[in-house]
Amino acid sequence: MNSFGAVVPLLLVVGAALVVFLLEAFLKKENKNYLAYFSLLALIATGILGARAWKANLSYFDGMLRLDNAALFLTFLFLIAVAFVILIGMKYISMQDANHGEFYGLLLLALSGLMIMVSSTHFIVIFLGLEVLSVSSYALAGFKRKDDKSSESAIKYFLMGSFASAFLVFGLAILFGTAHALDIPDLIDFFKTGPDNQVLGLVGLGLVLVGFAFKIAIVPFHMWAPDVYEGAPTPVTAFFSIGPKAAGFAVLIRVLAPYWDAGFRSGKLFGFLWALAALTLLVGSLIALPQKNIKRLFAYSSIVNAGYMLIAVLAGDGTGLLFFLTTYLFISIGAFGSLIALTGKGREYNDLEDFAGVGFKYPWIGAIFAVFLLSLAGFPPTGGFLAKFYVFVAAVKQGLTPLVLIAVLASLISVYYYLRIVIYMYMREPEREVNIEMENPALYLVLFLCLYGVLQLGLFPGNVLYLIKQAVAALL
Amino acid sequence: MSIPILSLITFLPLAGALLLIFLPKENKTLLYGIALTLTAVVFLVSLSLYFGFDAQAEGPQFVEKTGWLGFGIQYHLGIDGISLFLVLLTTLLMPIALLSSWSYIQVRIKEYLIFMLILETGIIGVFISLNMFLFYVFWEATLIPMYFLIGIWGGKRRIYATMKFVLFTMLGSLLMLVAIFVLYNLYYKATGTYSLNIFDYYKMLLDPKLQTWLFLAFALAFAIKVPMFPFHTWLPDAHVEAPTAGSVILAAVLLKMGAYGFIRFALPLFPNAVEKFLPVLSILAIIGIIYGGLMALIQKDIKSLVAYSSVSHMGLIMLALFSLNIEGVTGAIYQMLNHGLSTGMLFLIVGILYERSHTRLIKDFGGLSKQMPVFSAFFLVALLSSAGLPGLNGFVGEITCFFGIFAANKTFAILSVSTVILAAAYLLWMFERVMHGPITNEKILSYKDMNKREILYLVPVVVLMFWMGLYPRPFLSKIEPSVARAIAGIKSATKVFVQKPEAVPPQVKIPERSADIR
Repeated sequence: MNSFGAVVPLLLVVGAALVVFLLEAFLKKENKNYLAYFSLLALIATGILGARAWKANLSYFDGMLRLDNAALFLTFLFLIAVAFVILIGMKYISMQDANHGEFYGLLLLALSGLMIMVSSTHFIVIFLGLEVLSVSSYALAGFKRKDDKSSESAIKYFLMGSFASAFLVFGLAILFGTAHALDIPDLIDFFKTGPDNQVLGLVGLGLVLVGFAFKIAIVPFHMWAPDVYEGAPTPVTAFFSIGPKAAGFAVLIRVLAPYWDAGFRSGKLFGFLWALAALTLLVGSLIALPQKNIKRLFAYSSIVNAGYMLIAVLAGDGTGLLFFLTTYLFISIGAFGSLIALTGKGREYNDLEDFAGVGFKYPWIGAIFAVFLLSLAGFPPTGGFLAKFYVFVAAVKQGLTPLVLIAVLASLISVYYYLRIVIYMYMREPEREVNIEMENPALYLVLFLCLYGVLQLGLFPGNVLYLIKQAVAALL
Repeated sequence: MSIPILSLITFLPLAGALLLIFLPKENKTLLYGIALTLTAVVFLVSLSLYFGFDAQAEGPQFVEKTGWLGFGIQYHLGIDGISLFLVLLTTLLMPIALLSSWSYIQVRIKEYLIFMLILETGIIGVFISLNMFLFYVFWEATLIPMYFLIGIWGGKRRIYATMKFVLFTMLGSLLMLVAIFVLYNLYYKATGTYSLNIFDYYKMLLDPKLQTWLFLAFALAFAIKVPMFPFHTWLPDAHVEAPTAGSVILAAVLLKMGAYGFIRFALPLFPNAVEKFLPVLSILAIIGIIYGGLMALIQKDIKSLVAYSSVSHMGLIMLALFSLNIEGVTGAIYQMLNHGLSTGMLFLIVGILYERSHTRLIKDFGGLSKQMPVFSAFFLVALLSSAGLPGLNGFVGEITCFFGIFAANKTFAILSVSTVILAAAYLLWMFERVMHGPITNEKILSYKDMNKREILYLVPVVVLMFWMGLYPRPFLSKIEPSVARAIAGIKSATKVFVQKPEAVPPQVKIPERSADIR
């Protein structure tokens, strides 16, 4: 249905971002938290608008922007993610001497980029969203201006990101030149029926995939991730681990799932992605093994998780992918939130050695962090297990058993590196002085919600799966 | 609607663990009081399973079944004669293990009790799950508390040991998980409905080639857990480093999960593959018997001696299981209980000794029997039970196992009898060096004999040992009918295939074996 309502949530977010930028200039340093509250209100309002549009299938700009259920479900995920990031970031940025209101504005802008990406099937619009997201992300990565690592991470992210965008644009140009269309359904039609110029079209599609592969950090396009994850402020890292990844995969499955159905399963593209998934899983987990810095470790862990999600894409399993993304949202933000819980004034503790004995010194934070780590490692009864379970079942059903075996091997390796953190927390005596700032209620709220989410999704995911089913109907 | 006893005994410990989280960690008496009361209550409640169990009834009993996640994933519990006593063994040993930790565990008592209670939930869940998904969830869930128990309260090399334990077990169970996926999809393709119900899977007759792979995946998971030679290397490490109660639970119950997995899943699901691999597995079991026994002979540390004796004994249990006749399998299950009691008690004894001496090396002892006469008597009973002396439980179990093995293969039987000789050798030799002779180490003179608490938790075990050795009827009568049905299931399925080899079996055939177990 053509309705201006499809654009309103987006306008609300962008408008809120602009208001935040404006207000920032007039607020005193100690009142910056009001901007956070304002942003949260805007997020809630957007959420309500989104909920009202559920099943309404609104669209605008001649169908260029579509709020179908898939777009809405992902939008909800992004709203939750950004709300969590704001909550865990409030205290953090003031402790790390970076208490500027732009933090919230940039997050809202990045959110608008994500929303654009998932609510369109036209590649130009998707590209537009991607760039809005990327530019805000570069700024967010370098948000700790006085910190060299943060600046380094911003520069790296910017260079690699532009590189990826160039690939993407080049691929789009080729696609347009051969298929004379950039809307995903038209492109799929072209590949299904178009007799000639398929090779050039495939090259274009391949380049587009490479561009996205950078964004979602799959091997061998992952090099930027560890440095960016390590250098960026931790709340921003939490955002990177879920936001761009979810949007990228949503686009991938939109493009590729119908394509597999058309009998391209034996084609070169499928083999190419198959190899990428295997490579991502193996390389990611092997390099994760010797990591000493937890943020770098999580960077590799997110690469490996991208590998699992790629399996879902290859299996054409939209339900599995969305469920994986939903659980990964809670696990990942929970894990980074736990890292933030272990920060002191002007000091972060990200080395493995810092974690020695933390589990008994701070029992609640330790226990909650341990649950997230076990969930990442895929232990039942947490959501991490069920997410992998659904993806692997679908993959075996589609005859991807060898890939599932590789994935299982990767999760075996992952058990080692996740449990190593637990070992430091619970089984080693403290070696270094760790002083953390305890008073951070917003953060604890997020940790609690994430814990609840991880357990709820692991034990009783029925309601979420019901929503996901409705969303997937629009996706495929 | 009657009381859901199985859910009750499974989740009562977990509820206790949640309760303990909110209690002050300084109040040791309160914490122990709650944990002990809960485990004792669980044991008493689980006794009602024994009295309510009808041995002659077909199929699982005390069944609880509700939908859970959909797609065949159900909350489906039930027990038969095979799992009944394993559940009882778990619930009995848990309060004993907790009592034994009163003075052994000095730090972080609250966390310790929490993990022990979670462990009990996991183990009971494994034995009573009839849905593959649920089974896997519990199977994995036992890993986490054990990982912490070894890693936090263990000895010097605890981190290495606990990591090895987790990684070995995970390797097996993840491959098993993939095999479960394959079964799940095959079942769906054959029938159009999703199911993870183990009884539905019994009815599938799979392509023999596929069976081989699936069987290997399942067998690897269980063989690592048992542990069968050559997958046993994690066991001595884990045992030596684990705290006493951890070793007790590990040896007495966790290892049984592997053997139980064989009889519940690996053997009935893949009859053709079983036929093919039975000789290999039997030979591995025999190697385990002899190798474990020989290794036990040369151990310097009492605890690792008991650990290797476990490898040897579990070898016998597996060999008896693989004989696939009623005597053998019944004997194997009975011997699992015996091994649980005798090895559990041996670990408790070693723990008692360690609390006094802070060493476990055989050479540090000698002449203990003069200093600790009561201890000496208990030690001797545990040891003779483990060595299979007539009149004690070990004898009944071993002799039944040998009957079964002999009926299946005489050579194997002759080789497996070596377990008795070896056990007598390493146990009695160790006893002689530790308990008899002159007192060479002056510290021994300061050791006190067992106190009331220690006697209290060993007495039930000793009573059971005599009971099970002198009057095994109450136990065997409940085990045997279930075993007979299970065997009939495995055998008849094999026959279906053997009788008409010319017919190429399709990938999956559903109704062939429908009448057997259900």
